Amino acid sequence: MSIFEYNGSAVVAMVGKNCFAIASDRRLGVQLQTIATDFQRIFKIHDKLFIALSGLATDAQTLYQRLVFRHKLYQLREERDMKPETFASLVSALLYEKRFGPYFCQPVIAGLGDGDKPFICTMDCLGAKELAKDFVVSGTASESLYGACEAMFKPDMEPEELFETISQALQSSVDRDCLSGWGGHVYVVTPTEVTERILKGRMD
Amino acid sequence: MKLDTTGLESFPTLLAPQNDVVGDLSAAPSFDLPNSNDFDGFLKEAIQMVKPAKGTTTLAFIFKEGVMVAADSRASMGGYISSQSVKKIIEINPYMLGTMAGGAADCQFWHRNLGIKCRLHELANKRRISVTGASKLLANILYSYRGMGLSVGTMIAGWDETGPGLYYVDSEGGRLKGTRFSVGSGSPYAYGVLDSGYRYDLSVEEAAELARRAIYHATFRDGASGGVASVYYVGPNGWKKLSGDDVGELHYHYYPVTPSTVEQEMVEATGA
Repeated sequence: MSIFEYNGSAVVAMVGKNCFAIASDRRLGVQLQTIATDFQRIFKIHDKLFIALSGLATDAQTLYQRLVFRHKLYQLREERDMKPETFASLVSALLYEKRFGPYFCQPVIAGLGDGDKPFICTMDCLGAKELAKDFVVSGTASESLYGACEAMFKPDMEPEELFETISQALQSSVDRDCLSGWGGHVYVVTPTEVTERILKGRMD
Repeated sequence: MKLDTTGLESFPTLLAPQNDVVGDLSAAPSFDLPNSNDFDGFLKEAIQMVKPAKGTTTLAFIFKEGVMVAADSRASMGGYISSQSVKKIIEINPYMLGTMAGGAADCQFWHRNLGIKCRLHELANKRRISVTGASKLLANILYSYRGMGLSVGTMIAGWDETGPGLYYVDSEGGRLKGTRFSVGSGSPYAYGVLDSGYRYDLSVEEAAELARRAIYHATFRDGASGGVASVYYVGPNGWKKLSGDDVGELHYHYYPVTPSTVEQEMVEATGA
């Protein structure tokens, strides 16, 4: 198994009508053995910007700590929060700095930009940005996730329907992956509120 | 050792071969071999490609009332789950069961072959074959194919004249008699639950619950095990399937979700 499949992960983000949803599984494993079923993969940068990191768990945690540090400095200097597009460029630059000894993570970034317009993007472990208008996926279950999202996604969904869609896509994909699952964690973000939900899933 | 080829069809002809075409049919049965330049290298590669990590959990134990056999139902190819509904407990005959771990094709084929041999033994000797005899037949077959890449980790469980019998047989040629076995990548987790809950004088329901719990715990911890936990009981009148519970539902049955107490609650502000 490759280094990206060492811990196992599944992450997906979707765009709705003036809102976005970002979801991940909750398993932390060491190859086939499950160690924890409450591992946090989605991190808040600020109220309208979330990043989820799939791949090697230690690199995900370290990268997150580095990003929070850079964002706090930015807040002190600029006296405002970072825009999602700027943040995506920051993540991309940080990853490419380690071009010849990379962080083994694939980030998924989701946020509300100017005028509360939803923004999502994903990157490979070297920082190649992929902007999408509908959904982005990452992790060991990514192939299943692509299929599920492609089938279930509709543009301009309201927050409740978006939550249902992203949850179903996540659950059905991780049920076909040995290395991810054991529950789900979904954030639905609108301009006025952030809703965090834990999903009951198959624990096998 | 002469390879066992009874699993292959043979076409005995009464007439002497007239020409080359018919001559092929009356030749001794054998597995086709690939014609490649480097047979050893090809075989090594084929073994590596087929070599599954025995991603499964099966267990069996003898207790006062007979033998309890249980298994999960997940088939995995690396990280991908190819099926959640594989039958891993194979019914060799009405009083003997075999469990499947390793290569699915290998286990299915050789268990069916064993069933055929057991039936032939019954017809030739006018009595049922013992579990000892059946497991020895299988072990000898697997030993003759040792090193060729078969992957079989099976337990033969049954009830014969001497009472309950349980043997572990694998494709390395090993054969062990015992009272408690678990095979597969989830076996360490199953052993933990099985060994701490085992008593010889369990009742059938208690033993079934122990087997089910052991499989459930293995599916929780092991990524390559999951699906449905099947439990079979082998008694003096043969085997009987006791239950097949979906492991996803078993988790919430054993550990129900209690709604947590609300720490802070937001309410609509009334008034201006």
